[in-house]
Amino acid sequence: MMMITNLQASGKGEGYTSKSAFLISFRKRNLRSSKSLLRNCAFLPPAITVKFAMISTESDPPAETSSPGPRSPSGQPFVMISVTEPVKMGTGVQSYISYRVITKSNMTEFEGPEKIVIRRYSDFEWLHDKLAEKYKGIFIPPLPEKSAVEKFRFSAEFIEMRRQALDVFINRIASHPVLRKSEDLRTFLLEEEERMERIRSIEAGIFSKKSSDIFQMFKDVQSKVSDVVLGKEKPVEESDPEYEKLKNYIFELENHLAETQKQAFRLVKRHRDLGQSLADFGKAMKLLGACEGESLGKAFSDLGSKGEILSLKLQKEAHNLLMNFEEPLKDYVRAVQSIKATMADRANAFRQHCELAETTKLKEINLDKLMLMHSERAREAETDFKESKADSEEATKRFEAIVKTMNEELARFQEQKTADLGLAFHEFAKGQAKLAHDIADAWRGVLPKLEAL
Amino acid sequence: MMMITNLQAPGKGEGYTSKSAFLISFRKRNLRSSKSLLRNCAFLPPAITVKFAMISTESDPPAETSSPGPRSPSGQPFVMISVTEPVKMGTGVQSYISYRVITKSNMTEFEGPEKIVIRRYSDFEWLHDKLAEKYKGIFIPPLPEKSAVEKFRFSAEFIEMRRQALDVFINRIASHPVLRKSEDLRTFLLEEEERMERIRSIEAGIFSKKSSDIFQMFKDVQSKVSDVVLGKEKPVEESDPEYEKLKNYIFELENHLAETQKQAFRLVKRHRDLGQSLADFGKAMKLLGACEGESLGKAFSDLGSKGEILSLKLQKEAHNLLMNFEEPLKDYVRAVQSIKATMADRANAFRQHCELAETTKLKEINLDKLMLMHSERAREAEIDFKESKADSEEATKRFEAIVKTMNEELARFQEQKTADLGLAFHEFAKGQAKLAHDIADAWRGVLPKLEAL
Repeated sequence: MMMITNLQASGKGEGYTSKSAFLISFRKRNLRSSKSLLRNCAFLPPAITVKFAMISTESDPPAETSSPGPRSPSGQPFVMISVTEPVKMGTGVQSYISYRVITKSNMTEFEGPEKIVIRRYSDFEWLHDKLAEKYKGIFIPPLPEKSAVEKFRFSAEFIEMRRQALDVFINRIASHPVLRKSEDLRTFLLEEEERMERIRSIEAGIFSKKSSDIFQMFKDVQSKVSDVVLGKEKPVEESDPEYEKLKNYIFELENHLAETQKQAFRLVKRHRDLGQSLADFGKAMKLLGACEGESLGKAFSDLGSKGEILSLKLQKEAHNLLMNFEEPLKDYVRAVQSIKATMADRANAFRQHCELAETTKLKEINLDKLMLMHSERAREAETDFKESKADSEEATKRFEAIVKTMNEELARFQEQKTADLGLAFHEFAKGQAKLAHDIADAWRGVLPKLEAL
Repeated sequence: MMMITNLQAPGKGEGYTSKSAFLISFRKRNLRSSKSLLRNCAFLPPAITVKFAMISTESDPPAETSSPGPRSPSGQPFVMISVTEPVKMGTGVQSYISYRVITKSNMTEFEGPEKIVIRRYSDFEWLHDKLAEKYKGIFIPPLPEKSAVEKFRFSAEFIEMRRQALDVFINRIASHPVLRKSEDLRTFLLEEEERMERIRSIEAGIFSKKSSDIFQMFKDVQSKVSDVVLGKEKPVEESDPEYEKLKNYIFELENHLAETQKQAFRLVKRHRDLGQSLADFGKAMKLLGACEGESLGKAFSDLGSKGEILSLKLQKEAHNLLMNFEEPLKDYVRAVQSIKATMADRANAFRQHCELAETTKLKEINLDKLMLMHSERAREAEIDFKESKADSEEATKRFEAIVKTMNEELARFQEQKTADLGLAFHEFAKGQAKLAHDIADAWRGVLPKLEAL
């Protein structure tokens, strides 16, 4: 799905949701290629919350958009990425899906006007992990789930759901004011496949998740030791009441979103079941109608045909519900989990800040003691203390940076959530209303024939 | 359910369906006590296809009905029966349901104005079997199924379904031009419970189903012997092409009706499942709404409430579908099975007619031979022949009576079927259209709030 990202750097508005512009663009769907793309990809990912400032292909006439102002004139820097054409590669247990990632841009950084590379899920995963490593405090856009039940893994529906989610993922990164500047993004979008594969395996070897797990274990052990030394039984936590409220909100939000998504999935199934029953019913009615004949038989056959027509509409709506409602909800559950990961990073940073501050304090006390005693070890202690102090100041800076970034990210998240979930639920209600309207019409249509019997 | 049966006896129109009068009455529902009864008993049984000629209780003002003409003036003989108030009697495996059968009539045969007796399923079964025994050729109104899954046997829904079916059953008998004159009907409607029980057990002893099965076996053996004697390998069957067509039609009708009923039952379940899912979804939405707050939260809570409201409507429509659509279909499957029973009686009668005719012919030939030989056994053979001839003529008369009655019954059945099934499917389409209309309204109602986000 082609996403248009306005990269002009104009302060706070940039990259943030402009809901009305978004919805107007969404409804107008007046961009030709967008139209064709939208036909193929029902779910407009949250990244669309970026202002549609530019047209999507070179062949379209310039900028007929709905957001006037400094961002509309053509010539603005833009980048549009689409994840397309899933293809099954390899055989047996080695098989996987590869995607065509097309980057269209007028910026030299992205080797415009167009660059096409082949990527697989592990490449997206590599990008995600690199960004999570380097950009603490930022809510890294979430990936779709890694594993899937074996027999489901290559079903058309699953492949489409994953493709859509990966497209959302990469475009969120490209529309993030900070993340889009990352080297790793450029590597992902531009490198040839073999080089990408090599980069991926190297990283897997040295800075693998496993390795960072080991580092994390060391850090945990360190913390525990410090805790014991400092006489603390439980890990150090922030006591900011506002932050407490936020943490509770995030945990509640994840629960309720997950429950809603589960119910949405069940609704999809119910639609399918009802559709199937209506089809079977329609078939039985037609047989009954053929057996009867004359006016009664004709009325039955009509009823049967209506049943079969409505069955198709129900299946269609079930698919619509899945792609444009259930999947967006699932996506937001993952987004909230990404926030929790950032909260864990913040907690770690806070703990380090506290520990190093304590350690530095103890070293200062020790230094003063030694200096008082005119000990020879004083010089060593002073060096030690200064190092510790520098480390502590760095840890404090890191923590404060995360806090600041998180606040900006939260504001951005809330805006996007309101727009995205508002849209998803709007689509839900609209789809349900349309389906019900069609059903009512269909059944009302057979009433005259039945009354005439 | 109170049924009004016009017992005045002018020719063919009596007791036959007058569909337009029926539907008009049904829709007007202007009879006060009918209204209250109809509230309790959603399914208007096919017996209503009898003209509503009279008001239903003494307290109503006379005859405001929709069928003008000679049948409307008050003072006409009428009988109305209702099967009400199912009550569980006894304990453990001995427990059963008893019903209050109320007969309102202005005719002395029915000990009017009102007679109330207590009856149980076995009493209805007794009446059915007596009528089936005595009135060959008539499609005896069918009973609801005898057995039921143990744990389902006392569920409210099953009890109501059975009560409704028994009410339909007794009123069909009371509105049948021939059956309503039967002594057994009067016994059923008027006798005290102890006497009814005694009658039932006596019948069970002597003329039990078991006994008639034994008689049937004798008849079958007899037929087989005759067949062998007559050199026939297979039983004698009518060769009337019209009747062949009818038999095929009846068998096909039973299959298609049964399949349609099965699908209708499944549709009921789908409605219930969807309703349950919507309720769960609504609950999750409300929790999500409470967690959010402000405009997004309020929109979510609204959506959740709508979901819960629609869930109730779905459950209601599921019940409506069950009582007013699925049960009538099941009832007609049973009615067609009753026709098949009559067809079996006709086949038996035909076979007897053929066999006795053959036997008589052989005896005549034998007699002629003996008379030619001036044998002394001629006299005996003459008596034997005359007896056989009388039996044969009787068997032929019986068969022809069944054929005549069946033709009348078939015409009546087709009319009733058109009206009853037409109504049932009309109710189906109407209920579905109304439900869908309400659903469309509900979801459209939340759109403005979501658009305003």
